[in-house]
This record gives sequence, C-alpha cells and structure tokens, in this order.
Amino acid sequence: MSITGIIVSSGIAFGKALHLSHSENHLDYRPIPLSRIPQQQSKFLKALQALKHQLSLSLAKLEPESENYQLIEADLLLLEDDELIAQVKEAIRTLQLSASVAVERIFAHQANELESLDDPYLANRAQDVRCLGQRIVTAINGRLEQGLAHLSEPTILLAQDLTPAEFALLPKAQISGIVLKTGGLTSHTAILARAAGIPAILSCQFDAELIPNGTPLVLDALSGELFVNPQPEQQARLTVTLHHEQARRLALQAYRDVPAKTRDGHQIGLMANVGNLNEITHVQDEGADGIGLFRTEFMLMHTSTLPDEKAQYNLYCEALHALGGKTFTIRTLDIGADKEMPCLCQEVEDNPALGMRGVRYTLAHPELFKTQLRAILRAANHGPIRLMFPMVNQVEELDRIFALIAECQDALEDEEKGYGELSYGIVVETPAAVMNLASMLPMLDFVSIGTNDLTQYAMAADRTNPQLTRDYPSLSPAILALIKMTIMQAKSAGVTVSLCGELASSPQLVPLLIGMGLDELSVNLNSLLEVKAAICQGELAKFSALAHSATQQNRISDLQQCITNYK
Amino acid sequence: MYEKSVTITAKHGIHTRPAALLVKEAKTFDCDVLVECNGKQASAKSLFKLQTLGLYHGVTVRVFAEGDQAQEAVEKVSTLLITLS
Repeated sequence: MSITGIIVSSGIAFGKALHLSHSENHLDYRPIPLSRIPQQQSKFLKALQALKHQLSLSLAKLEPESENYQLIEADLLLLEDDELIAQVKEAIRTLQLSASVAVERIFAHQANELESLDDPYLANRAQDVRCLGQRIVTAINGRLEQGLAHLSEPTILLAQDLTPAEFALLPKAQISGIVLKTGGLTSHTAILARAAGIPAILSCQFDAELIPNGTPLVLDALSGELFVNPQPEQQARLTVTLHHEQARRLALQAYRDVPAKTRDGHQIGLMANVGNLNEITHVQDEGADGIGLFRTEFMLMHTSTLPDEKAQYNLYCEALHALGGKTFTIRTLDIGADKEMPCLCQEVEDNPALGMRGVRYTLAHPELFKTQLRAILRAANHGPIRLMFPMVNQVEELDRIFALIAECQDALEDEEKGYGELSYGIVVETPAAVMNLASMLPMLDFVSIGTNDLTQYAMAADRTNPQLTRDYPSLSPAILALIKMTIMQAKSAGVTVSLCGELASSPQLVPLLIGMGLDELSVNLNSLLEVKAAICQGELAKFSALAHSATQQNRISDLQQCITNYK
Repeated sequence: MYEKSVTITAKHGIHTRPAALLVKEAKTFDCDVLVECNGKQASAKSLFKLQTLGLYHGVTVRVFAEGDQAQEAVEKVSTLLITLS
C-alpha cells in the first residue's frame, strides 16, 4: 500500500511507524460548580509550570542564535504572561469554565484576533498560538508528550500536525522521516525538517488505524510516497535509490550558490515552477533566481470554499516575503481541462481541453477573476510581481483582461487601498498564440512558453492519453519550430522569453533550449540544481551550434540522436 | 507621566521574535510600560497583548509610563521599537 503527499524535505527514509497525537483532548463544556473554581485555576497554573519546565529543557539543547530557540523562547514568554494568565483565570471564575475550556476559548480568541490583522506575517502566527493552546490543554489533562525519548530504532513519525516547538523536542537521531496530514501554515516545520535533513511529506491523507505503531514503512520523499509494509523488492529498490541519491545530491550542492552562467559568461534566469507556499520557501534553498510559474489553481484544489481576496492577498504577500525581492511570476487561475475544482460549479464539457479553461473560464466569471486580480494588485504594493495569463490566443482576450485590471485599479483607488505596478505576460501554449504574437507583444513585458499544452494543441494529441505520448513528444521538429518562432518574435520586440514546460526540467535538453536563445528557464524544484549544473558546465557557442543543427532535423529520431551525440 | 511617539521602520513589522526581545527588556523595569497603536493599548510586558496591536511597518506608536524609571523605560522601549527588525 502506498499513500501520496506533498514533498517538503526530499530524501528516502526507512523506519517503524509512530503516531504522535496531541489533539485528542476531550473537553467538558459544562459549567463547573463555583466550589471548583480555585482548583481549576491552580490546575491551569500547574500545567503552565510543567510545560515551562519541558520547554526549558529543550531550549538548553539548542543554539541561542537559532530560529528554533527564539520561537521556543517566545512560547516561554507567553507561558508566563501576566495578561494571559489573568484572562484565563478570569474566564474560569466568571464563566465557570473548566481550565481546559478556558484555555481553548482564550487562545481561540487570540488566534482570531491575530488572523484579523491586516498583515500576513503576523496573521500567520495565529496557527502557532493555537498550537500552544493545544499543548497547554494537553498538559492540563496531565499528558505531557512522552514516549519519544526512548526510541531505539529508526522511526517515521506520523501526525496530524507538528509545530516548530514540537519539532525541537524530537530525538532527531532516531527520527528518520516525518509524515503529516496537514500542510499549509506550518512552513516553519518544513524549513526545520529540511535543515535537519529529515525527509518529510505533508498533506498525506493516511488512515491512522491502518498503520499501527511499529508498522514497517518506507518514505520515498523523492516521489512523494509513503509505502506501508513494503515488499522486499521495493525495499531493495529504494535502498539503491537512496545511495545513488545521496551521492548525486552531494555533488550538485556545489552549484547552489553560483549563478546559472555558462563557462563563456552567458547568464540565464533560472526559475522554479511551484504550486504552493511550502515550495516557495524551498526556492531559496535550491539556489533559484525566483519563481517562473506559480500555479494558483492549486490553492483551490483541496478546498471546498474559494479563498477570498484577503486570504489570497496574504498568501501572495507571504510568498513575496519568502522570496525577498527575487522574481515572482504568478499565473492566474488555470481552471478547466484536467483540473477539476471541488469549490466551483463547472459545466460538463465534451472536450474540456478545448473548452472553458484558462482565461476563457476566468473571463466568463469576472467576479472570481477580479478577486484574484485585486489580491495580486494589492500584493504588488509589497514587492515585484510578474503576472501571466494562461490560454491566451488572440489580442481580444488581452483587451478584455486589461479592461478588467483597469476596473480593479479604479475600484482600489476609490477604496483608498494601495496597489502596485505589475509586469504582464502570457503563457504561449497554443499555435494560435504563436501566430498572433506580433499583435500581442506590444502589450507584454514577457512571454513564457508552456510546452506541455503547446504540444497537445499543435499535435492534436491528448496529453493524458498514454497511447499518444510516445509518438507525439514535446521534443519534435514541429514544437522546436514553434519555440523558435516565439523566441525570434519576442527578441525583436525586446520582450523577455522564458520556457516553463517540462522540457526545461530535463537537463539533457537544456543546452538545446538555451542555444535557441531563451532568456529564462523555469523548472521543477527537484531538477533545478541539475539544470543549473548543465548550464554552468557548457558554453553558449556550443549550445548555439547544437540548436542550429537540431532545428534542421526532420525526424524525431534524428533530433533525439542529435541531442544524444552532443557533448 | 513620560511619553514618546515613534514610527516602526522594520520592514516586516514587529512580529513574534522582535516582540519577544522587547518584552524581555520591558520586564527589567519596575514600572509598567504601555504601548498604544491603531487605537489599541497593551502592556509592553505582555507578548500576548502586544501581538494583537498590529505593529507593522510605518505605523506610529505611542509609548508611555508612570512611576519609577518611567523615562528610562520609555526611552528603552521606543528605541527598541525603532531598531528591532
């Protein structure tokens, strides 16, 4: 059996399952008798003492300059905060609440107040506050988390969620991997897991009852899979992968902090394709120049309600904060085709890939589109944002998009809300877009070639149909011709040209793509260092010669041979 | 009473970690130090309350105190509000 999740710290881990549970606190909401008020108040104070003692112990093991240390120190300050203590004691007394319910209520109120602040960074701390409240409730119930200290063999930790403070308490030497059900806000834990080199996946919907403590597990945080009771051949295969991976990663680290520049000094903008905030925090670690594609529709996929303007604004601001001024390219919602959204009512279409997708859908639903545009315009007040639109075929679509943007800007001005200037681009993913490029380029700052859809639409070959992928690959004379046309037109108009399809993530094809004249590549995070290595090890002159001969091949097989022969 | 107004210059505002440093400093004084911002008021000794003020970049904060060491405490806290990031 295997279960999938989102990779936040890559690698392979072997170990026995252990569930960390702290959320099953049974609360009794009935009012307590007046006579038990003092007892509940002292129970609360004792729990604070116990928790303080536990946190002080873990603090002693950490470097004072580390982020972890400072976060735990902030938790400790809260545990001895007079205002907080007074509020909880007051709630126990006047509302006749049990200590646990009083803590839950005061912390929930505090978290809501933080969330309502007009500052994404502070608002995100609400989750930390809720977690601390949970820990106090656990301590009140007399169950300080124990049992972790005595681990004698490699263990893969399974939990609903894990706070940075809880992470600090883990015996790292025995924890080989981490699997969490939640994702999202706990990006601190993701950073810490990466820093500690512990493979971890999030948003993993495992069923705790099917994986009792002690079950043998293998966590493949390269493909994002957790194997329960792995077969011997799976074990053997993953052991080999683990050794290869360790050696390869180590060698690639040399490229992390160097620019993506060829030996003869030609620099390429090397960006990452991402779909969530966790990956955005990863971008710095992997040595990318920024984000070349942020797929915003992924924020809608696992939710039943549409994030409102404020939630989207907070998300974009947090991304800008994490990127610290590096390029941030947002693609507006690309709904339709193979991406179904549970939170939207979409009509059933005979040919979804040829139907209401990309800007066709968002232009037909202007309220949805405007919510996103407003959030992005407002976020651009805090840092540079490049905005690109999927499935644009002709200049009429751009006219309608820019009219909506002007409408949003006017409304924001009336409401006296600040907004920033954006750079604009389109994803070139249909042959029509290539043909119509000349009329659209004067309105654009950049274009990004989406080779996956460009191949599907140029070849009339469904990209989800496995019978077609072999005969109609992206690496073909037709697609190279479309890429070349796009690059030449963009260059003569002085518009930056990027490529964000899967082609760019293949290190063998990087010399060809750069030789064709692309300014930027945007690739999957886990291939970024490999692509950078391919750039740094080559010379532009050789890349150009390869591109020259590759674009003259008439057959897919000759083209492939041409790539294979290059060295 | 001694008071002073300052503007937050830290790019991302005074969030958890700088706020914690501020609270630790405020606690070294006997008198209470109050911080007022966005129409809300909090003791500089309470991280719990301080977090809810919304001490972001560009807001003006009034710091005031009464009693022993009031001036010294207000000066210390307002200096930290300007310099922490």
